[in-house]
Amino acid sequence: MPEFTKPFDSKWQAAVLLLPTFVVLIAFLYYPGLETFRLSLQQTILLGAQKSFVGLENYRTLATSAAYHKSFAISVAFAAVVVVGTLAVSLFVSYLLFQVDVGASTYLIAAIWPYALPTAVAASVLLFLLHPSLGIITHYLELLTGLSLDWFTNGPQAFVIVAVVAIWKQLGYNIIFMVAALNNIPGTLTESAQLDGVGHLKMLYKVYVPLMSPTLVFLVIIDTIYAFFATFPLVDLMTSGGPDGATNLLIFKLYRDAFEFSNLGLASAESVVLFAVVAILMYVQLRISESRAHYGG
Amino acid sequence: MSNISIDGLTKKFDDVTAVDNIDLDIESEEFLVLVGPSGCGKSTTLRMIAGLESITTGDLRIGDRRVNDLPPKERGIAMVFQNYALYPHMTGAENMKFGMNSVSDYTDDEIDDRVEEAAEVLDILELLDRRPGELSGGERQRVAIGRALVREPEVFLLDEPLSNLDAKLRVQMRAELLQLHQELDATTLYVTHDQTEAMTLGDRVAVLNDGRIEQVDPPQVLYDYPETRFVAEFIGSPAMNIVPVDLEYDGDSVSAVHEAFELSLPNGDRFTDQPPAAAFGVRPEDVSLAVNAPADAQTFEAEVSVTEPLGESLLIHCYVGDDELHVKAEARSAISPGDTLELAVDEDRLHVFDDTGSAVYHSSVREEAASDTVYTTPEP
Repeated sequence: MPEFTKPFDSKWQAAVLLLPTFVVLIAFLYYPGLETFRLSLQQTILLGAQKSFVGLENYRTLATSAAYHKSFAISVAFAAVVVVGTLAVSLFVSYLLFQVDVGASTYLIAAIWPYALPTAVAASVLLFLLHPSLGIITHYLELLTGLSLDWFTNGPQAFVIVAVVAIWKQLGYNIIFMVAALNNIPGTLTESAQLDGVGHLKMLYKVYVPLMSPTLVFLVIIDTIYAFFATFPLVDLMTSGGPDGATNLLIFKLYRDAFEFSNLGLASAESVVLFAVVAILMYVQLRISESRAHYGG
Repeated sequence: MSNISIDGLTKKFDDVTAVDNIDLDIESEEFLVLVGPSGCGKSTTLRMIAGLESITTGDLRIGDRRVNDLPPKERGIAMVFQNYALYPHMTGAENMKFGMNSVSDYTDDEIDDRVEEAAEVLDILELLDRRPGELSGGERQRVAIGRALVREPEVFLLDEPLSNLDAKLRVQMRAELLQLHQELDATTLYVTHDQTEAMTLGDRVAVLNDGRIEQVDPPQVLYDYPETRFVAEFIGSPAMNIVPVDLEYDGDSVSAVHEAFELSLPNGDRFTDQPPAAAFGVRPEDVSLAVNAPADAQTFEAEVSVTEPLGESLLIHCYVGDDELHVKAEARSAISPGDTLELAVDEDRLHVFDDTGSAVYHSSVREEAASDTVYTTPEP
């Protein structure tokens, strides 16, 4: 290797520079991960003050618990709605942003600012805007549609409300990436299609979507992780998993099992299952998209 | 096939005038080349004709229709881009069909037939199932041209289609484009910055500079009788020598006086104006060593600074006074830097430009051009 491209004088120097990253990863990721797995094989009381080894007992409890099955199904449905909804709305908004000539950056900022809001703040604000009896949005929605909205007691309504808020919150992130991907597509492709008079919709699904597929694959995965893990504050602040468990997502249920019902062992088992489910989903998504996505060249 | 008629075409981007009041008539079935340096407005002109750029003022007619406000697909044009603009996720055939499906007054069978026909003409049948990523630059450009062909357009627009190809392929594609044009007889408008491409391809060449047309003429006329100093220097490689001279008029006899030489210019009555000082132009191949010139030729001396063997000739950079002069001499001439040369000029090939850059004098006149023809095909 030529002298000037050699980044470090010795391996030790490289190791020292890597050390902080390793320390953080081990202390906050790998060690807690292993510890969670160990805890999932134990029965605990008093927040883990007393433990006893029970083998796979916690997993057996989960496998036979109707409440857990329901939470599992709700989480999967919720993730599906949020991922598909986020991608569809973001794609629509991004395409409009891509096509607009005047004031594009203003629209872009308007479209992505919800992402800058902390989830907890967004949840609190929307809780009031969408409040069944006080909320200004619900008020006009009821006037316009004639529906009676009471998502504090109606399970399906609560599910939809939390899903809509989750989608809204994630739009900005998706739009940034989609607009960037669209702008990376050579302008002459658009012009060539203009010469042929190709319609906007056909252009979107025949040309733009295939060409931005690597970005879309990335977003599907990020959005899936978001839907399973990062929607905790929304549920916690808006519905507390209710009404009647209609929004009791796995991530919320395991938090309650651990810190409200003091069952650390069972909650750890739920964590491990959630981790495994999302990991398998990632793998499947990547395998499917690998054969479909167009990576140029 | 349609003619294109451009009348007072102007394009302004905010304060910048990219195309300034251009008039141009392109005959039906003609191959016209727009050539000029980057930023001269040639691509903008082409894009206005295509409908990709709006027209600020002026009239654009294709055939007998005014198309200023027609969307691109209704103008009966097809365009080939410099970077090919092929859809990377579609095969060659899909690329050629994609636009056709949108025009959609054709059945799928008709489209398939046309694609096959175009592929045969371009000899790309075996490329139809491959994606652009699997094709070389030349093959991609063939597919892109094929995509334009299937449209069977009234007018072909080509925007620097050969610029991304390597030199050898460019020469080959140039010949193929010419052949294709002869087969199809479509009105073709070709944009390039390469004066060699312009000279070799065009029935006529329009030289653009700074948003204006300097001259529109057949390539040889452009070369022999440049109307402006810009055209003189832009067309031809190496470029025409231009040196400042004082002009002395004595009736019909005119002398060009330079610090290092004095030439009496033949046919002094052909001066259209009589500026006291002007730019004197002569092409490198029209300057020769005095030994090779007729005995009565006017000669002057120059000092050699650099020699460049071009293979088929030797390009000599030399100085007359403070001005540099390029001379094309025979290959393998024994000339080295520091030598003093005795030079003569071809008196039929002299040009004078006034200080606005317009030609005021060519030592032969265009009407005589026919007598310059050295060989004509015998009548059968």
